[in-house]
Amino acid sequence: MIATFVATFGIGIATYIAIADSGGGSPVCLAGGSGCQTVANSSYSHLLGVDVAVFGIAGYVLLLAAALLRGDAARMAGFGLALAGFGFSVYLTYLELFKIEAICQWCVASAVLMTILFGVNAIRMVGYVGRPA
Amino acid sequence: MSGRSTRDSRREERLQAESEGDREERRKRLLQIGSAAVFLAIVAVAVLIVVSQSQTSGGDTELEDTGLVSRQLNGIPQNGMVLGDPRAKVTLIEFGDLQCPVCKGFSEEIVPDVIDSKVRSGEAKIEFRNYTIISQESIPAGAAAIAAGEQGRGWSFVELFYRNQGPEASGYVTDAFLTEIARGAGVRDIARWNSDRKSDKVLQEVRDTTAEAQQLGLTGTPSFAVQGAGTSGLETLGTPGSAEALEEAIEGAG
Repeated sequence: MIATFVATFGIGIATYIAIADSGGGSPVCLAGGSGCQTVANSSYSHLLGVDVAVFGIAGYVLLLAAALLRGDAARMAGFGLALAGFGFSVYLTYLELFKIEAICQWCVASAVLMTILFGVNAIRMVGYVGRPA
Repeated sequence: MSGRSTRDSRREERLQAESEGDREERRKRLLQIGSAAVFLAIVAVAVLIVVSQSQTSGGDTELEDTGLVSRQLNGIPQNGMVLGDPRAKVTLIEFGDLQCPVCKGFSEEIVPDVIDSKVRSGEAKIEFRNYTIISQESIPAGAAAIAAGEQGRGWSFVELFYRNQGPEASGYVTDAFLTEIARGAGVRDIARWNSDRKSDKVLQEVRDTTAEAQQLGLTGTPSFAVQGAGTSGLETLGTPGSAEALEEAIEGAG
């Protein structure tokens, strides 16, 4: 339930970033900050020519599917995806802080959502597999 | 709470339905799949990081002031080698050589004030034109800036180049260095940039602006010129020593 809500929210944020960026602009930071434009304009914002946010949309869609589906495969896939998403979010946050030297609120929001999804998916998996026989 | 108790009771029912052996086997299998999921997740993140790093590091040096330049130019339109609103009535032109240390000083100390006071407000736009006088290396450097301008990153390239400038004619202007500057400036299509910067059209533009500067009688870099309704054509300013002098020239040309 939590995972479904968070993943849906994540799709919304990642889609906003991708659409704002594809129009030649960048996401608008709240409170008039300029960090979003700095981050969107940096060379780190694209992987092989594809906006990083597009990878985010794909990840959240798969996480949403994993949250909605039942069964062991969905649990494991959800955990693996959330772990990958969390790991990549840690890397992107490191880039913002130490390489780009600017913080984009939308990216931080996505990183928080991915952290929540990692926690929820970890509990979902460990709570099931770890139950003693 | 009721949701959790429902889930717990379902789980209990399911567990009861399974035999002891089946459960143990199932648990082992899930642990194996779980380990595989963790492994795949780590591999996926590693691949993403390697791709990200490989496309960003053009050489083995770290660029200085990427964030600073980005913040300085943030929100100002860039078209070709022009920074600022294309409809601005006054154009300030900098004839510069990317290898020139005095130009670097201007870029750090004087031009930012003019950008903040006159360009950001839309009162003036500022254009960079290559005046290659230091050495032959200034030509590929200038061409690389124009090629970045083709992708709306001309000024980002110029400013970032100045911030990472090496000693004059020391051989640091390599393809790797230029590529690193281009990436740091936010040039997205590096293949297109590579092709543009080596094209006859772009190299000719470097030669043309250098010839223009010579015809105008400019003797060094950076030299400035201003053009607007209040000037008759391009009015040379030489090398004003302060942002205020440039601002006054802009006001006089409007």
